[in-house]
Amino acid sequence: MKNKQAKFIIGAVVVIASISYLIYAGIQETSVYYLTVSEAQAMNETREDLRIEGNVVAGSIQKAANALGADFKITDSKNSIAIKYHGTIPDMFAEDIDVVVQGKFDPASGVFKAHTLLTSCPSKYEASERVGTKA
Amino acid sequence: MTSLGEISLALALVASIYCTVVSWWGGKTDNPVMIKSGRNAFFSIAALLIIAAAALMHGLVGHDFSLESVYNYSNRDLPLFYTVSAFWASQSGSLLLWALMLSGFGSLVLIQNRVHNQKLMPYVTSIISATLILYTLLTVFASPVFKQLPVIPPDGYGLNPMLQNPGMVFHPPSLYVGMVAFIVPFAFAMAALITRQLGDAWIRSTRRWTIFAWFFLSMGNLLGANWAYVELGWGGYWAWDPVENASFMPWLVGTAFLHSVMIQERRDMLKFWGVILITITFLLTIFGTFITRSGLISSVHAFGESTVGIYFGVFIVLCIIFSTYLIYSRRDLLKSANQLDSMISRESSFLFNNLMLLGAAFAIFWGTIFPMISEAVRGVKITVGPPFFNMVMAPIGIALLLLTGFCPLLSWRKATISNLQKNFLVPVVTTAAGGALLIIMGTTKIIPWLMFTAGIFVTVTIFMEVYRGVRARAATSKESPPKALLNLVLRNKRRYGGYIIHIGVVCLFLGFAGAAFKQEIEFSVRPGEATQFRDYKLTYYGYTDEWPRPTKEEVVATILVEKGGKKLGYVQPEKNFFTNQNMPNSEVAIYSTVKEDLYVVFAALSEDGLATFKVHINPLVKWLWIGGVIMGIGTIIVMWPDAREKKRFEARHAEA
Repeated sequence: MKNKQAKFIIGAVVVIASISYLIYAGIQETSVYYLTVSEAQAMNETREDLRIEGNVVAGSIQKAANALGADFKITDSKNSIAIKYHGTIPDMFAEDIDVVVQGKFDPASGVFKAHTLLTSCPSKYEASERVGTKA
Repeated sequence: MTSLGEISLALALVASIYCTVVSWWGGKTDNPVMIKSGRNAFFSIAALLIIAAAALMHGLVGHDFSLESVYNYSNRDLPLFYTVSAFWASQSGSLLLWALMLSGFGSLVLIQNRVHNQKLMPYVTSIISATLILYTLLTVFASPVFKQLPVIPPDGYGLNPMLQNPGMVFHPPSLYVGMVAFIVPFAFAMAALITRQLGDAWIRSTRRWTIFAWFFLSMGNLLGANWAYVELGWGGYWAWDPVENASFMPWLVGTAFLHSVMIQERRDMLKFWGVILITITFLLTIFGTFITRSGLISSVHAFGESTVGIYFGVFIVLCIIFSTYLIYSRRDLLKSANQLDSMISRESSFLFNNLMLLGAAFAIFWGTIFPMISEAVRGVKITVGPPFFNMVMAPIGIALLLLTGFCPLLSWRKATISNLQKNFLVPVVTTAAGGALLIIMGTTKIIPWLMFTAGIFVTVTIFMEVYRGVRARAATSKESPPKALLNLVLRNKRRYGGYIIHIGVVCLFLGFAGAAFKQEIEFSVRPGEATQFRDYKLTYYGYTDEWPRPTKEEVVATILVEKGGKKLGYVQPEKNFFTNQNMPNSEVAIYSTVKEDLYVVFAALSEDGLATFKVHINPLVKWLWIGGVIMGIGTIIVMWPDAREKKRFEARHAEA
């Protein structure tokens, strides 16, 4: 009986070890720094992809003529970064909303070239903060 | 109505506290008066929550904008259909709906078990109503449903246009039903532990509830994927967002539970597993509601931050302590009567299926909370995105799919060599031929090739099983093959229903594999101009601009789709503007075939009439929706009442 159980324990260990390895390798290969604007500027990283969250500076948005990209600035109220984004502009993208961009700093110009633009609008469901301004 | 709703909710809170205590005490002291009182208290909670929900619905339909949860999520010219759905667009409303379902399902369980499971029921009642304390606390204090505004605005803010889609109307309630219903098997498992009645009575009594919960969770996830696909306009259906993961994790562990209890029923094994799996499933349903509402993990589509997180956090910790203590103190009773005999047996394939599903859930859990952990440990936030989840989940998914194929070929206890030769020859040869054909046809990417090939394997084994069954039945009962097939399925609903669900799963994998071959293009055109995209010719005809409602402007583009000189039809992607929302809302147009979807997004329209489109070719996506329908049909067959099974069940209870 003992021997029989040992086989299953080995089998289970193999499954668990493989999944653990997958998770480990996955994190090694795909993880990306998630930074605030100030942290990103302090880091001075130009080779790796970064993810930066910030608030879109009012009046900074310049959309491309065909609407497949935009130049804008994001800020964490201390520092700001110029972003050059290429891709479809999400519907919710606007001034003064929180966005997350992913891409690389261009070493020459210092501009952040983003290939991903996510609008993580916290008021998508909860609109309570709008009450005061609208009512 | 508002104050009636408020009072009902407060009373429901009081009644749940009373019900939890009195039912537990009644069960412990075996006091029929207290048990009866607990039952009645439970029904009264349900009644009070119905009144509260009716009050909120009355506020929504009657446009009572003094209520914050009405003002923020609806306005006067919102169609009735979406006004009703605004009930669960707000955080407080969604929590109320959750509580309402919980009390409704609980009442149903109480009615079903008037006679049966007398020992278990007081504890089941107590556990469900303890969970109701959490939800009534939340809707009374942390996220009040009937919060009023200081001044009554003339009109509401309106519902987010993205939520104005039929998918969004059905998807959240479906998920909630699934998540909520998992409390029934959990409560029975805990009650079985408390009363030390660890036979399979609790499993048999909750089998239908488990499948019911699983079904709605599956459909909820698929409806969510469908909503994301047709509404969000990024061309995909699943982004591994924390909110999606929140509902996918309990599905994975719930699926493992579903399989492990089959083994427990059949071979009286894996008892310990079963209890652990349902506990994890339940905790994950609560964890899911917690992460979408606490603001702990940033997500693209979570509810706003609020204080509800603390309540959930405390509840989860209490649940973990309670269930861990119970399982640990009853560990001797959870010993299985039988042990696994052979590695190559049906039992062991279930065991590995369980391990992989649990491992998959753990991988998702780890990826979801990784930013928090890295911040706590290293002081930097590091995230993992879709590439991580795809990389980890694809191999696990393929391994699971292969197991699905192996399982019916293996005999119980121990498979013999001759048994293996007999069963494996045809499927292995067919699969090898299919795999080779796929390479010849140009499937050179490894992951999709494995998915297709494993899919062939599963399909062949299932058809062989059915063929054998039909042949055997036709021979013994002298029935015609179609009649034999019908009788076979009707007399073994669980088994053949299960096979149908597995065919549905194969279709899902077909859809997943298709994602490896997607293509996209962006182009700007003026009316009359055409673009070539692979073998499609797209001609832009122009746009129309209309106001279907005073607050909604619709700009609709018309594009003619041709392929190889043949006219396929028109697609009409839209860009909509709402006067009360400062952002546009794109409606994609999809030309869908079983081979691929042509997915057209109206990206922009410039002042001088230049229109920009983004077009995706998404191969095999339709198979996801087809797979969902097949899984639904299979589940209905599995759940269909079975007269003979009922008889067996009653005979057992009569003995007990």
